[in-house]
Amino acid sequence: MITIKHLKKEYPNVTPLKDVNAHINKGDVISIIGPSGTGKSTLIRCINMLEEPTSGEIIVDGENLTDGGCDINKVRQKMGMVFQSFNLFNHMTVIENLMAAQMDLRGKSKQEAYDRGMELLRAIGLSEKALNYPRQLSGGQKQRAAIARTLAMDPEIILFDEPTSALDPAMTGEVESVIKGLAKKGLTMLIVTHDMRFAREVSNRVFYMDQGGIYEDGTPKQIFEKPEKELTRKFISRNFSHEVEIHSHDFDFLGMVTELEKFGQSHYLSRRTLNHMQSAFEEMCIQSIMPHLEDEFNMKIILSCLAAKDQVEMEISYSGKSFNPMDSEDELAMAILKSVTEKIEYRDLIKEGKSEDESYTNIIHLTIK
Amino acid sequence: MTIDKNIDGTKLEILLEGRLDTATAPLLEAELKESLSGITELVFDFAKLEYISSAGLRILLASQKMMNKQGSMALKNVNEAIEEIFEITGFSDIVTIL
Repeated sequence: MITIKHLKKEYPNVTPLKDVNAHINKGDVISIIGPSGTGKSTLIRCINMLEEPTSGEIIVDGENLTDGGCDINKVRQKMGMVFQSFNLFNHMTVIENLMAAQMDLRGKSKQEAYDRGMELLRAIGLSEKALNYPRQLSGGQKQRAAIARTLAMDPEIILFDEPTSALDPAMTGEVESVIKGLAKKGLTMLIVTHDMRFAREVSNRVFYMDQGGIYEDGTPKQIFEKPEKELTRKFISRNFSHEVEIHSHDFDFLGMVTELEKFGQSHYLSRRTLNHMQSAFEEMCIQSIMPHLEDEFNMKIILSCLAAKDQVEMEISYSGKSFNPMDSEDELAMAILKSVTEKIEYRDLIKEGKSEDESYTNIIHLTIK
Repeated sequence: MTIDKNIDGTKLEILLEGRLDTATAPLLEAELKESLSGITELVFDFAKLEYISSAGLRILLASQKMMNKQGSMALKNVNEAIEEIFEITGFSDIVTIL
């Protein structure tokens, strides 16, 4: 459906795309991932000629876009684009946003454009917002409306440029589920995203971009579990960690909960994993360990996760006498802890030769489910 | 967490919104202490409750014990995540979920 040959895009100071080659089949849902500045957005902007390639060829259904004689507007009609910042017309109502291009470019009557627009709004659960203006919608609703507007043109290919990056984390789910629905319908889609969990769930192919091109092209399973090339491997196995300390029973519990939440959201953990992490923190630290500690104590919690995995490790170090919290008689807390973790390992550092006065004498390591 | 309540004769409905955890469980405990006298039917609406910890479960357990003596207690609109916690802690066998 789309063939890209030796595509190059050069700017005065930088060359994001040096030599891109790819063949995209009808029905492919391709997530484009990679470090910042590797030309992911530039690539999809070149595909619909929002950016003019410096050299190379882009062939869509046999039409060579880079050939001077090609009717770009005709080819563009097959392609929809969804932007990070929605790009709705703010002076028009939602339904007017969906109708405008249908009438201007497709020559539909007002009634036809309205009927098709309403049908699409109903499909994504926004029909009651038809007469509202974009400013009256939440971010997630705006992006859903923008997707519906793209669909109103009956595109065969949709290009998404970080569709959920500008959204509040609570709203990414509604947009993701609309995109997943489109994938099921067989639309061809290219999605630039930083959210690897989403990439894994939605796509049948992943392009890892680096060094000016598509560095590795494979199934989500290959790219996220067994990448063949070195830079992909490095990118996928990046480890993120965050450390917090608690020294008194009157610590800021709410602040801590917010901090855990932020860590999870900024690394695209699923709601379920995030909840499990919160449960593990509360049942382990607050319910099981802290009641056994002195008035003043040291506790350090290190959270870590891998870039491409919806999983968290939690390591809790604390001071005082040897105490394995798993010996606790708090059955409720233990039941919850066991269900939200895959593995719990306790280390008694005093037994390993440390003195009782050291800052940390116990370590418990939890692998969160 | 916010606690909203509706009293209709001897029926009390309590609507919880947010998190029922170490920090907020004492608030619910205090609220129940104040409002349970004379109540024969207690219903918790969990439609807007996002998270529950063992500290929250303990309060529910205490209120179940109390209501066993004076009437009935039930929970409604329990979400999946909280239902999961109820299952693993054996709570689903103790409380009535509508």
